[in-house]
Amino acid sequence: MNIIETRNLTQRYWTKASLHDLWSAGHNPSAGWTTKVLFDITLSVPHGSFYALVGANGAGKTTTLKVLMNLLRPSGGVAQVLGVDTVRLGEKEFAQIGYVSESQQLPKWMTVQQFLDYCRPFYPTWDRELEAKLLSRFGLPMSRKLDELSRGTLTKVSLLSSLAYRPKLLVLDEPFGGLDPVARDDVTQGLLESVQQGETTVLISSHDIEEVERLADRVALIEEGRVKFSEPTESLLGRFRRIEVAQEEMWLANSCPTGWINWDSGAGRTSFIDSAYNRESTEALCQKHFPFATVQIQPMTLREIFITLARKANPSLQRRIS
Amino acid sequence: MLPFSIQLVSGLPIAEQVIFAVKKAVVAGQMKPGQPFPSVRLISQELKINPNTAHKIVAALVAEGILITTPAVGSVVAEQAAGDRQQRAELLGTDLERVVVEAKKLGLSLEEVQAGLTAHWKKLGRK
Repeated sequence: MNIIETRNLTQRYWTKASLHDLWSAGHNPSAGWTTKVLFDITLSVPHGSFYALVGANGAGKTTTLKVLMNLLRPSGGVAQVLGVDTVRLGEKEFAQIGYVSESQQLPKWMTVQQFLDYCRPFYPTWDRELEAKLLSRFGLPMSRKLDELSRGTLTKVSLLSSLAYRPKLLVLDEPFGGLDPVARDDVTQGLLESVQQGETTVLISSHDIEEVERLADRVALIEEGRVKFSEPTESLLGRFRRIEVAQEEMWLANSCPTGWINWDSGAGRTSFIDSAYNRESTEALCQKHFPFATVQIQPMTLREIFITLARKANPSLQRRIS
Repeated sequence: MLPFSIQLVSGLPIAEQVIFAVKKAVVAGQMKPGQPFPSVRLISQELKINPNTAHKIVAALVAEGILITTPAVGSVVAEQAAGDRQQRAELLGTDLERVVVEAKKLGLSLEEVQAGLTAHWKKLGRK
């Protein structure tokens, strides 16, 4: 079973509209009064996977997560978590879900100790030993109030309170946001120590592409409220290569093999990106088109792949020639 | 501390890099037959990688006969002919390819590369 399943999920927010907006929307009330932020989001998060949502600020990642946690009611489409429609999620399901988000309202007046004591009774599967282990790993100041804590420490408290009961599903909204490198390392370690391989499903939204590259087995790119692609990390890294040839070759730009993009040629060199790399076929194609030149094939990081795809989709983001 | 040396780089599939590093370590005798191999959990935490990836790595190493799983102990390095010279040379293949490509870009000849190689070999100690 997929732990999370959405089909054609749409979401609208009510927004204040000016008279001008209403007029230019042709007096159509819903077009004037609401902003559509999610369009046809269809995602499946398989059981036991580590699934990352990446995308620019404002793309719709947090909105998607809020719908999944029933903090927002979807405007259209289907959203199900643990086999249940999100609007029907109840105590039984939430006892198996952990949610960590910057926008959470934690009781700021409580101390760390009080907060953990408060959370514990809600979760029948709370593991005291795991709690102690994580407390010692994170080094939390038990008698400090939550509103006195730094961002990093607050994230650790929130994470601990979500990991201690070994949830089936862990949803993390930008957990590394604003964290210094040491805190980030602690959070990653804490996460890896507690996640049961094959049993815990993790859905994480993050800007931290380096972390995503190592941790996620599947990545979905959300752009302007749409899923641009959803693919296993390994296959993404496997099919993209940056290729550089010691030869100028502008004429090929218009008729190059499928998958060869971002053609750039000049000063005795040509570079392009192969988005459908396969060792045998790419080498054969290079041999065919550049029989006498040295060809250098290099892997690309996830960050470079995303920037390539984002720029390709939005021509106005084309890199300026330096 | 893992019993094999590895420096993960961004861009290449992690599983591939780790499997390669383990093979190198076994062929080079850095890991000996019967030596316990770290658990999936430990690999995942030490390298800070997805536990599913760590699981795939161990499964692949078992499938290739580099490791065997024993019930109580976990995975151990399997008995295998200590890598013959040709196997070891093959493991250097990617690095050599990179050197050749860079040398060609710089317009160096094979003799110049060999001279450079000899100089570095001497510099890094007698063996």
